[in-house]
Amino acid sequence: DLEVEPAAEPWPENATLYQPLKEDQILLSDHASSLAVQAYLRMCGLPVQVLCRVNSEFMSPSGKIPFIHVGNQVVSELGPIVQFTKAKGHSLSDGLDDVQRAEMKAYMELVNNMLLTAELYIQWCDDATAAEISRPRYSSPYSWPLSKILAYQKQWEVRRKMNAIGWGGKTLQQVYEDVSQCCQALSQRLGMQPYFFNKQPTELDALVFGHLFTILTTRLTSSELAERVKSYSNLLSFCRRIEQTYFEDKSS
Amino acid sequence: TGTLHSLDPLPMQGPELGIQADDIEAPEVEQEPKQEVLENKNVVVQRVHIDGLGRTKEDLLTYEIAEVFRANNLIDVMRKSHEARQKLLRLGIFRKVEVNIDTSRGEDALPNGLDVTFEVTELRRMTGSYNTMVGNNEGSMVLGLRLPNVFGRAEKLTFQFSYGTKETSYGLSFFKPQPGHFERNVSFNMYKVTGQFPWSSLRETDRGVSAELSFPMWKTNQTLKWEGVWRELGCLGQNASFAIRNESGHSLKSSLSHAMVVDTRNSSILPRKGGLLKIHQELAGYTGGDARFLKEDFEIQLNKTLYWDSVLSASLWGGLLLPFGDAPTCIADRFYLGGPTSIRGFSMYSMGPQSDGDYLGGEAYWAGGLHLYTPLPFRPGRGGFGDLFRTHFFLNAGNLCNLHYGEGPQAHLKKLAECIRWSYGLGIVLRLGNIARLELNYCIPMGVQSGDRICDGIQFGAGIRFL
Repeated sequence: DLEVEPAAEPWPENATLYQPLKEDQILLSDHASSLAVQAYLRMCGLPVQVLCRVNSEFMSPSGKIPFIHVGNQVVSELGPIVQFTKAKGHSLSDGLDDVQRAEMKAYMELVNNMLLTAELYIQWCDDATAAEISRPRYSSPYSWPLSKILAYQKQWEVRRKMNAIGWGGKTLQQVYEDVSQCCQALSQRLGMQPYFFNKQPTELDALVFGHLFTILTTRLTSSELAERVKSYSNLLSFCRRIEQTYFEDKSS
Repeated sequence: TGTLHSLDPLPMQGPELGIQADDIEAPEVEQEPKQEVLENKNVVVQRVHIDGLGRTKEDLLTYEIAEVFRANNLIDVMRKSHEARQKLLRLGIFRKVEVNIDTSRGEDALPNGLDVTFEVTELRRMTGSYNTMVGNNEGSMVLGLRLPNVFGRAEKLTFQFSYGTKETSYGLSFFKPQPGHFERNVSFNMYKVTGQFPWSSLRETDRGVSAELSFPMWKTNQTLKWEGVWRELGCLGQNASFAIRNESGHSLKSSLSHAMVVDTRNSSILPRKGGLLKIHQELAGYTGGDARFLKEDFEIQLNKTLYWDSVLSASLWGGLLLPFGDAPTCIADRFYLGGPTSIRGFSMYSMGPQSDGDYLGGEAYWAGGLHLYTPLPFRPGRGGFGDLFRTHFFLNAGNLCNLHYGEGPQAHLKKLAECIRWSYGLGIVLRLGNIARLELNYCIPMGVQSGDRICDGIQFGAGIRFL
């Protein structure tokens, strides 16, 4: 309950962000979400150490990646994390007026409903990807037969959720089309500006960067998804810009 | 947890000597030879058979009744028949067993020949049961369905569902004894257990299969077991400490274990004499799975009756968990200590390493108890209700900690000897049949370390295994 908690505590030095193992375990959708939060925190100037844990999905209070451990608090997913940092006095969207803020929320909804769902669909509902990439990676830390049980359990869960939101009947081509449409909307909104709301990045920029950069740099069974994103050159330069500004100087 | 036995031993029907009206052919003069049969004259058991068998296979039972043939006088026949009856009952497939000893009839009947007949009533093909069980400071309702004699050789198939204060579980198990050697048996189990442990803010769900082989060897009972368990750990409540959150997730344990038990006590609940030695070891990781460790634990208890109907009892428990490789131990494998059934005066499992009030368990422990049980002062209700109660003076001590396995055994012993928690006090013990015991004690905890949670003053405990 963030309204009650003492916002006065400053951001500690030892804040940590938890995600699955980078090399062998993490999947596209989780990596995108984690990168979005990392980008957001860097944009706010808040230091955070990234720790990779096999069981991070189960450690998370909501079951979703990533989550941050700040002082005594554990907060997961970008939305609550943005609220959490706001309560501590750090915000990227203070300069926006109400109309802009509503617009930002709408675009963030779009990314979550379209891009994130498409990523989950491709990972778990496309049989080729599920068999070659998702199930092996998801089950890699566990021994047989637990590895098989957990992988199939996760796949069943995601497929059930896709059916519930009406994506169960879609084909892969339709999903790629949806991704293209989403990218087109984002590309149009971005235009020639450096960030979505002109000069300063907001949480929307962090979210879009997280997803697009991950799509561009993750090897899947087919490169179609990356190609769809690449066809929008302003989105490409947007990703490069954020990477250079917020990630490259920190990597040394 | 303990189990209720649903066998009620019926009194033996008494040897019917078969002297029926139409058998008396001889005139009264011949009463003397018959009286000789009643005294300790030599007899020969000519026939032993079992009536009332339905699906039970006879070859299983011939072992149990074989001894009766060897009896050669009447007292012996009665005793061996009684023993055979007990053996038949312990198979768990008969509701009732009655013994009939009769003189031999028929053409090849010897004058001192006897016929022994066991009249049995088989249990129904499927039996249901509803029990309440008492574990250690928890209670549960147990519904059971059992097929007591599946293929005719005392195999049992049992399905059990248990709903309790701390645990919910269900399981299926198949038990097969070796014909003629009931104490040698094998059993296969499948189960799912969900537990909630508020002292650690931990939820645990275990789904497992196991195969177990039990056999007696000299005076001991040995058990070999393979077990595969899928453990799922999670936080109980939003306020769990981060140390517990860190343990959340899934792991697979595949382990081989061996246990040896020597039990010469007259009762397991409030023994008056005899001793218990139990040694158990478990090796995980060499037959698959994620967990890799060697776990040892032991339990010793000695009891001696002193003057004036009082009993002195001493017990010692200990255990060690040795992980292999770099991975830390899992909270599901560690030991816990403290509570009304172990070191009294401390809260349930609330001793040793902890983080933010959540107890994490330890990799090594020892605990000892010294008890004096006496009848209630002034012996109220003697010979009846009062005999179920005992007064109880106790001294408990122990320690629970983690070890760093780089250091040598000297350092470990030193660590276990530092910061010993102990407690003393007195109370009343109530014995519930041969199943469980209740204690109400006044405890004074000492040697309390920071982080331990104590329960000084009155403490209530219920269970089957007490320090």
